[in-house]
Amino acid sequence: FQDQAEQFFRSGHTNNWAVLVCTSRFWFNYRHVANTLSVYRSVKRLGIPDSHIVLMLADDMACNPRNPKPATVFSHKNMELNVYGDDVEVDYRSYEVTVENFLRVLTGRIPPSTPRSKRLLSDDRSNILIYMTGHGGNGFLKFQDSEEITNVELADAFEQMWQKRRYNELLFIIDTCQGASMYERFYSPNIMALASSQVGEDSLSHQPDLGIGVHLMDRYTFYVLEFLEEIHPASQTNMNDLFQVCPKSLCVSTPGHRTDLFQRDPQNVLITDFFGSVRKVEITTETVSLDRDVAAFESKFSEEELATEPLKYAEQLPVAQIIHQKPKQKDWHPPGGFILGLWALIIMVFFKTYGIKHMKHVF
Amino acid sequence: MAAPLVLVVLAAVTVRAALYRSSLAVFIAERVEVASPLNAWKRVVEGLALLDLGVSPYSGAIFHETPLIIYLFHFLIEYAELVFMITDVLTAVALYLAIQDFNKVVFKKQKLLIELDKYAPDVAELIQTPMEMHYIPLKVALFYLLNPYTVMSCVAKSTCAINNSVIAFFILATMKGSAFLSAVFLALATYQSLYPLTLFAPALLYLLQRQFIPVKLKSKSFWLYTMQYASLYLCSLVVIICLSFFLLNSWDFIPSVYGFILSVPDLTPNIGLFWYFFAEMFEHFSLFFVCVFQINVFFYTIPLAIKLKEHPVFFMFVQLAIISIFKSYPTVGDVALYMAFLPVWSHLYRFLRNIFILSCVLIFCSFLFPVLWHLWIYAGSANSNFYYAITLTFNIGQILLISDYFYAFLRREYYLTHGLHLTRQDGTEAMLVLK
Repeated sequence: FQDQAEQFFRSGHTNNWAVLVCTSRFWFNYRHVANTLSVYRSVKRLGIPDSHIVLMLADDMACNPRNPKPATVFSHKNMELNVYGDDVEVDYRSYEVTVENFLRVLTGRIPPSTPRSKRLLSDDRSNILIYMTGHGGNGFLKFQDSEEITNVELADAFEQMWQKRRYNELLFIIDTCQGASMYERFYSPNIMALASSQVGEDSLSHQPDLGIGVHLMDRYTFYVLEFLEEIHPASQTNMNDLFQVCPKSLCVSTPGHRTDLFQRDPQNVLITDFFGSVRKVEITTETVSLDRDVAAFESKFSEEELATEPLKYAEQLPVAQIIHQKPKQKDWHPPGGFILGLWALIIMVFFKTYGIKHMKHVF
Repeated sequence: MAAPLVLVVLAAVTVRAALYRSSLAVFIAERVEVASPLNAWKRVVEGLALLDLGVSPYSGAIFHETPLIIYLFHFLIEYAELVFMITDVLTAVALYLAIQDFNKVVFKKQKLLIELDKYAPDVAELIQTPMEMHYIPLKVALFYLLNPYTVMSCVAKSTCAINNSVIAFFILATMKGSAFLSAVFLALATYQSLYPLTLFAPALLYLLQRQFIPVKLKSKSFWLYTMQYASLYLCSLVVIICLSFFLLNSWDFIPSVYGFILSVPDLTPNIGLFWYFFAEMFEHFSLFFVCVFQINVFFYTIPLAIKLKEHPVFFMFVQLAIISIFKSYPTVGDVALYMAFLPVWSHLYRFLRNIFILSCVLIFCSFLFPVLWHLWIYAGSANSNFYYAITLTFNIGQILLISDYFYAFLRREYYLTHGLHLTRQDGTEAMLVLK
């Protein structure tokens, strides 16, 4: 009974995904790109591979002509920490970061030609971390200075994900002004949300770097990252600690969170359930014999193999056959009744006009 | 007269064969003035290919030909060029024979009216003589075969040539006086494209004239003959449509062909007036305006029948012109058909008022069509308004041409009965004015 109860409190996920979105463009929004890249770094460090991260950056700060240190994006002043590096894999870059693409990624309603790296291939045992940063307002988040996503749309997208069984549990973190308004409308189960500020409050940026000339990070994400630096894949830190990150004294805004849709108690939710990719390992002391099955499998395979001869490369493509192909035979023929009827009519018309006396000339 | 006709036919066939072998064939085949969604050759090929794949060619909005065309080209698709050349030749020969017959009728009627003293004394110069009428059939065949519009239509393998040939056979049958054949060919022409329905009236009038039945609404023989002809026509139309059902065992072709012609869903630019209007129109008005535009084609039949009941062949000419101007997807092939008739009215030349300007307009517009198309589609420095302006001008030119001929015809008739030198009641010179 104790085991069963423990099972209930443990998350039932088998894989982790992260969708990290930076929605602002232009040089002065450097900090949003730095935010997102920092979270990306942490999430990678804790074990989620690039194939399971969908990184959307609306602008390219590293190669921006105004960047005095090209190919770098710093998250700490005095250029201590370069979060760009040479192994960043950006999946949606520049103008591809649109509301439509974001919602398509979430709901999976993606054109068939989309490459795998741009897809969120989650299933019903996936825990997904969704981090969004940019400029927002009461009920909306601005994308690239030209469009917005509303909290209702986001809530509906999550509901679509729930109905399609695209997540087991979802952690939504948003670092924008009035960020709490974005999670107000969620109504799907198993969603936990964190925001950097309440409705009516602005999220402030942390520190400008006089060498680069812009603010490098936002306060909330800065302190979240400080917190995440102490997490390692085996740590047992839970969500309640994350909720305490960045009190008003440090952040100036009041961070908020929402857990009413979440089934488990936040105390039992590990940080690594969302930020890391921790595999569950069950240690067993039984031995399983594979020899019997392997032998049967091998014999079946060898039977089939004997029949085919190894093909040379040139023979694999029957070029001679292809170039000398005759045009396809016509498969359709007009029905016999039609032909009969048509010619009968034509003959009738002919004899009606020219008289029946010509019949004996024909036959 | 056979030898010159054979020469003309040979010349025409050579021109077409030469063009088929040249690189212009592909260029001409793509031109929207020559190939409309109704009669483009690549749509025929596409439809037959779909049929080979086991799909009905009428699924989707590609193929708008009638089942008889499917049947015809199913066996003849490899000889397509030959088929179209032969069709053109047949049309020309049919028109030749028809006009020969018509000339005889005209001449007989003229002689009758002279003997009955119906003509005024000083109209000797207006009366047609056999000498000048001798070469008219050859000129008609020439005008049809060597008209650049016809040549382009043939090289593009547009099935407009087949429509034209059916109409030409209908005209031949009407001229020969055979009501049965005329009804059959008219049914076939209506079945092909809907608009030759309006040629029912001139054909009826001509046949009535040949049977010497006066066109009076109270006359019983008039109604009897009309009923006979109408029933022949309708029966053959019904038979042909039912026969088409058995080709593919479905009625799909009716919305695809007739629904398409009437509701004009495809707004590819052509030389007609429909596309621009309906590209600009709001949805909830489009039904109303489609009806208005379609009625416009059929509308002129009754007034023209009343005015031209003594001259049904001219009526047929005007009606053909009206069809080719106002139909929903006109091409230059349709224009070529009624232009073939112009030599028949060459005696009206002295009464035509604007013939120079109109011929210039028509020629210039024909040259400007591809230029403005290139500017609009390829160079991007013009827009659809430019092309539409040329379309409008071309159609205005055609309409003015027809109305010019109409006026000239009526004027000649008036002069024939009232004399060339018109005087008012007080003896001063009068002038005939069209009000």
